[in-house]
Amino acid sequence: MKVLLVEDDEALASGLTLALDDAGVLVEVAGDGRSADFLVSTERYDAIILDLGLPDGNGTQWLSAWRDRGNELPVLILTARDRWSDKAAGFSAGADDYVTKPFETAEILFRLRALVRRAHGHAHPVIRVGEISLDTHSAQVTRAGMPVALTAQEFRLLSHLVHAAPRVVSRSELTEHVYDGDAEPDSNVIDVQVSRLRRKLGSHSIETLRGQGYRMLAGVQAR
Amino acid sequence: MAARLRRLPIATRMLVSALIMVLLVLPAAGGLLSWNFREAVNAAFDKRLESLLNVVLADVSYDARTDALVVSRALGDSRFDSVFSGWYWQVRDDGERVLASRSLWDQRLAVSQRRGLTFRTMTGPREQSLRVLERDIRLPNLNDALHVQVAADLTEVETQIASFQALLWLSLATLGSLLVALIALQVRWGLEPLRRVEKSLRAVEQGRQASVETDLPKELARLAGAINTVLERDGRLIERGRTAAGNLAHALKTPVAVLTTLAERLPQEQQQIMQAELKRLDDAVRHHLARASAAGPVALGVERKLNAVLKPVVDGINRLAVRRGLVFEERLPKNLQVRMDAQDLQEIVGNLLENAVNWAVSSVVLEASIKNSELLISVTDDGPGMSPESRQQALSRGGRLDQSKPGSGLGLSIVSELVALHEGKLQLGDRTGGGLCAQVLLPLPPAV
Repeated sequence: MKVLLVEDDEALASGLTLALDDAGVLVEVAGDGRSADFLVSTERYDAIILDLGLPDGNGTQWLSAWRDRGNELPVLILTARDRWSDKAAGFSAGADDYVTKPFETAEILFRLRALVRRAHGHAHPVIRVGEISLDTHSAQVTRAGMPVALTAQEFRLLSHLVHAAPRVVSRSELTEHVYDGDAEPDSNVIDVQVSRLRRKLGSHSIETLRGQGYRMLAGVQAR
Repeated sequence: MAARLRRLPIATRMLVSALIMVLLVLPAAGGLLSWNFREAVNAAFDKRLESLLNVVLADVSYDARTDALVVSRALGDSRFDSVFSGWYWQVRDDGERVLASRSLWDQRLAVSQRRGLTFRTMTGPREQSLRVLERDIRLPNLNDALHVQVAADLTEVETQIASFQALLWLSLATLGSLLVALIALQVRWGLEPLRRVEKSLRAVEQGRQASVETDLPKELARLAGAINTVLERDGRLIERGRTAAGNLAHALKTPVAVLTTLAERLPQEQQQIMQAELKRLDDAVRHHLARASAAGPVALGVERKLNAVLKPVVDGINRLAVRRGLVFEERLPKNLQVRMDAQDLQEIVGNLLENAVNWAVSSVVLEASIKNSELLISVTDDGPGMSPESRQQALSRGGRLDQSKPGSGLGLSIVSELVALHEGKLQLGDRTGGGLCAQVLLPLPPAV
């Protein structure tokens, strides 16, 4: 999962980035509304965490601008102002959820995962594809009920495939959502990680479609 | 009684005092006038009798040849000749000699024992009420004293007085009613600016006007100006408090948020201490900010539709509920009017709904109604509900229920404080079939 964090306070941004990174979320930071605006229109994210108090205008103004342009990304608002008049303004600008400062990383993760899951059309926190299930709350993966240990990057990769299932996910989409924008992986890295996932989850769990990308297989193993 | 008298409307006071004046002063004046008139008429009548008596006195003589009294020339007035006309004269001694006007015919007037000039009132022939003037004289050739009397019917005087009085009371009554009418007009015109102030105040109270009209007489214009100043300052103070509270929140919360995220990276033991302290800090900030931002009951407030006031909150919660896969039902009556600070109301309902959305399994319901001039707002969720102990704790200051559940913070205790500020009540009850039913009872300000 890759999110854009729009936060002008550097200490908070770096702290949150570290904490989210530990939980397997890829974070890119924008320090003000203008750079966030640029990133939103050029990069692909799964969600945006938006602080309302930005140096160049209120976060709600930027959010309404994005919504007006047809951007439907889930937006989690981060606000120090917890009066309802402020929250209501955030919602009417198009926010999907909010967390008030100060917060625990767990709270952000909880809201973020729920938003992304719902954006992909999954109502239940546990997404199942075949005998693989992914608990979006606890970030746990099980195969036929048995827990599977994954690295952070493996988890991100699988999480994206599982959320997108049964759609085919292209390699470029995976590159954008799973890996840091600055460190473009060569296609070999993806192949290697997919084969590692296959080893842990079963050879028929992920299908490679030549020239198109990858897809989770629900098929034969389902019981 | 005294209190009621103190609150008597000004117009009533002025009318009552004017009425008392008219009812006391006019009759007194009338009585005095009437008495004076009677006195004057009576005095004039007596004067006339006296001059008539003098004529008789001057004319009466004794004829010793015929041993009879003689009046040489008749009194000019013909009424002395027409029988029982009420005008009489009579001269007699203590014996048999009597001379009287023709009008007295066969009747005679009684003689008093007094010697000098005597006025008296007596009943004459045919029950006539007579005014009699008599005097005793002595003639040179007669031993006996002569009693000379002149009498006149008082009916004439009485009629005169009666007609004067009728006229007097009629004109006094006319004057009185004219006075009352004029005073009523005066009160109406004089108090008209006050009525305008009252109307203008009502318009402000009902939110149709922002300030009180100042196009008034100078005494009232200053008062209206003062009211406007207070109103303006009131609004500014609330606004300034809210802005300051919001800015303080922003300034404080970002550093606290930084510390909270940093604390998560500390070793378990230190992390717990840090987090507990940070939570206390945050709770204190939120608690006092909520209080500082609250307007509380307002003296003059706009009456608004409840569903319009709550629309931003309801819309936000709606979006939140959809994102969290919950069904949110808003059952607010269409035409319920409330007179309460909009932001306070949004804060109360918003926090209740937020709490419900955080705990609900599948549904949240918002309802409102008027019960015994109290506004009842209830928020129901189908979550796990609350034990009596946790309810107690939630209603106390800073009670934080479950630290593991994100977002479940001070919400209920802030609601409880805001509701108390508005002299209302927060009740936490069970929903039938499990879950929490939070009810807020707010007294509605009396309609103005």
